[in-house]
Amino acid sequence: MALLEVSDLRTHFFTREGVVHAVDGVSLTVEAGGTLGLVGESGCGKSVTALSIMRLLPTPPAEIVSGSIRFDGRDLTQLSERELEDVRGREIGMVFQDPMTALNPTLTIGTQIVEVLQRHLGLDRRAARRRAGELLEEVGIPRAHERLDDYPHRFSGGMRQRVGIAMAIACGPRLLIADEPTTALDVTVQAQVLDLLDDLRQERQMALLLITHNMGVVAESAHDVAVMYAGQIVEQAPAQELFSRPEHPYTEALLAALPDLDDPHARESRLAAIPGRPPDLIDPPAACRFAARCPYAELGDCCALEPPPLRELRPGHWVRSAHPASERHLARL
Amino acid sequence: MSATQIAGRIAGVDAGAPIRQSSLWQDAWRRYLRNRGAVAAAAVFLLMVVWCVVTPIVSPHDPNEVDFASAYEGPSWSHPFGTDQFGRDLFTRAALGGRISIGIGFAATFAILGIGVVYGAISGFVGGALDNALMRFLDALYGLPYLPFAILALAIIGTVDFWTMVVALSIASWFITARVVRGQIITLKENDYVRAAKAVGVRWYGVLGRHLLPNTLGVLVITIFLELPGVILGEAFLSFLGLGISPPDASWGSMAQDGRDSYRAHPHIIVIPSLCIAALVLCANFIADGLRDALDPRTKET
Amino acid sequence: MAAYIIRRLIWTVPVVLLVILMTFGLMKQIEGNPFRQTERAVPAAVQANLERKFHLDKPWYVQYGNYVKGVATGDLGPSLVLRDRTVNDIVKEQFPNSIELGLLAFGWAVLLGVPAGVLAALKPNSRFDYGAMLFSNIGFALPNFLVATLLIYFVSVKWGLLPTSGWTTWQHKILPSFTLGLVPMAYFARLVRGTMLETLQQDYVRTARAKGLRRRRIVTVHVLRNSLIPVVTAAAPLLGYIITGSFIVENIFAVPGIGRYYVTAVSARDYSVVMGLTVLLSIIVIFANLVVDILYTVLDPRTREART
Repeated sequence: MALLEVSDLRTHFFTREGVVHAVDGVSLTVEAGGTLGLVGESGCGKSVTALSIMRLLPTPPAEIVSGSIRFDGRDLTQLSERELEDVRGREIGMVFQDPMTALNPTLTIGTQIVEVLQRHLGLDRRAARRRAGELLEEVGIPRAHERLDDYPHRFSGGMRQRVGIAMAIACGPRLLIADEPTTALDVTVQAQVLDLLDDLRQERQMALLLITHNMGVVAESAHDVAVMYAGQIVEQAPAQELFSRPEHPYTEALLAALPDLDDPHARESRLAAIPGRPPDLIDPPAACRFAARCPYAELGDCCALEPPPLRELRPGHWVRSAHPASERHLARL
Repeated sequence: MSATQIAGRIAGVDAGAPIRQSSLWQDAWRRYLRNRGAVAAAAVFLLMVVWCVVTPIVSPHDPNEVDFASAYEGPSWSHPFGTDQFGRDLFTRAALGGRISIGIGFAATFAILGIGVVYGAISGFVGGALDNALMRFLDALYGLPYLPFAILALAIIGTVDFWTMVVALSIASWFITARVVRGQIITLKENDYVRAAKAVGVRWYGVLGRHLLPNTLGVLVITIFLELPGVILGEAFLSFLGLGISPPDASWGSMAQDGRDSYRAHPHIIVIPSLCIAALVLCANFIADGLRDALDPRTKET
Repeated sequence: MAAYIIRRLIWTVPVVLLVILMTFGLMKQIEGNPFRQTERAVPAAVQANLERKFHLDKPWYVQYGNYVKGVATGDLGPSLVLRDRTVNDIVKEQFPNSIELGLLAFGWAVLLGVPAGVLAALKPNSRFDYGAMLFSNIGFALPNFLVATLLIYFVSVKWGLLPTSGWTTWQHKILPSFTLGLVPMAYFARLVRGTMLETLQQDYVRTARAKGLRRRRIVTVHVLRNSLIPVVTAAAPLLGYIITGSFIVENIFAVPGIGRYYVTAVSARDYSVVMGLTVLLSIIVIFANLVVDILYTVLDPRTREART
């Protein structure tokens, strides 16, 4: 059984302008000790998915309307707030996107790490401080023990993100959710942080749910990849498989949009962008959500009539499309 | 902001809100109208102003006519607000008093705005050492209470009438406005479109007049309704202490002072003008809140 | 940090000088010298003596200089009306009462206003929230002389619970301080609610939740601390209101403080007292601002570096 199993999760936001179907049918699995990369463009619902798993969304206006989130057998959607407080930080840790705002500016970073250790592991102040220093070393902060009494503003963005990671893994969680951990960082620092995450994962046998809009990040770090579009998972497969044999038209388009340095004609050609825009999530299309931008959807197709279900095309390779790559030649018969 | 963007904002993702500057005022107007409290307040405010202007004209009573036979009457059909110790109709007097209180209120507010805008605009626009000096100076002046200075000013001037009141009340009340204007100008100055204008060669007065000041307008309108309550209450305080407008002209504050001694037996004499003040101030506060929400929607988005 | 404090202190000097100058200049506008305005006619020789004693025969800038010197050494000059008392005497007598009134009012405001704001923010849009904000709005709008009058009418006269005026026993002090504290109370309730709501939206609060910290800890350690910082900086304009309000409240409740005395002095044309009190109040406010500024630096570590 997988460590994390999300089944048909639907999270809606009830706002004055209408109901936003931010997450509308997300199923994914993360194996213990493995890495799942969740990719998608801005606004597709990946962050909302992560926050839903942690149950961190403000409950008005957000609400998980259906679906289950099984972590180690327990359904997180059924737990009370108190029970969730025991899970967060201890079993599941989370790292957020913007290191500049994720830390409390008026508390030392030592305090912010110590409080997690004291909360879940019951360590006394001295032991907790020592452990905090060790954690900072582990994430690569130089002169870690001396810097415990520094305030966040004395650290650079990359360093702050490491501090965030230290806080998240402090109590040895079995799953770490990293929501766009490198998006706000310089490119050179990005690689370091990703390497750090991978090292930590291996050393601690921790599973990693890595959320990003950057295919490159995913290619490097993930075992499995799930592609998200307009609130739904449209493809999930092991990374190798996804990159070599993508099925969903959206995935193909994403991959095609990546500039290829090895291509001799790269300089003369234009970047392949995907025409059109994602659908409005207040009133999403009843059928396939990608149909409007899909090069393979034809008039009168089922694409506009019924929503394609997420089906296992090959073992371990799931696709939500009426025109996956391997079936296109069939359609021409 | 679209709902997707709201959801996006909650999830920590900026889905890219487009900025449309052309219909800023229309947007603000529409947003204001959606705020029922603010609309109600504006309506009541307007109603009160109209009442103050119209009532003395159409009222059958002479506000200054003394008639001891009908002194101290409570509210009735012929005297909706009752009468005071001299038998004068309070309904008409309150309306007249309103003219003066509201008049002083607006006049002083505009004076405050005038001084504040000049000080703040110069400081913000010129910048550098002058700005530094002006602001340090302002910092030190900041919390000074206006009342002692207003009292002092009135004592010096000697007479207390409409315009001396205006001067006295505005002398020590312009600091906040100056700071707000300067802050706004500084923020706007950093905007790219101002740099662009300068790069194209627009002269400083053009930049000031065409770009900076019009965008400060919104803040100024809000400031009007923020300063108004303070000024109206200030005038009321001065009058209540006996330092205000001299009879027979009356403001709400001096009417309240009239009722001071007889409040035990006849509370309406002090209560009525006080409630008028309270109503106006309450409306002004709601209007200011409504304007603030209308012109800067970000604060409401949660 | 020390450099910052010194710089701020240096800037207060010209401001204080200017305030004294303005007050002084305004006073001089009153025609002639104050002694000529007393009802009793003073024989010319005596008058000349008095003028010489108080340096009124010297040019204005010399008088100004003398006065500033006086202020610097703590001498605010003589009372012009009460011949045998100096301004300092009056201040020593009346000022402590005003301070006590102000502190008590501030106490009411913090005691009732801050918790109201906190609770309103923790349960936004609830009935408590709406109620608290409604009270707050009304508190701002009602003129304090009305509140005072109503309180006296109901609490003192009708129900006889507390005395109507005076400042001797602790019972005397309740109504005036509560009346004066009403507007600051409303102000704090609103302010704290606002800052708390804003803080609750911050990313670091979400991080704290993601760490599984208990709600109580999140509110007290992460939210309250950061929300109360703006409250400290709000203290400055509040002091201005308390001084202003005290003029009315002391007047109505017959509290022997300098707010009440100021008005008396103006009516009695004791301009030396008026000037002295104005200067005193201004200096207090200016230094209070400075203290608040420094306090802010202590509370928010980010500003420490920025201010050096």
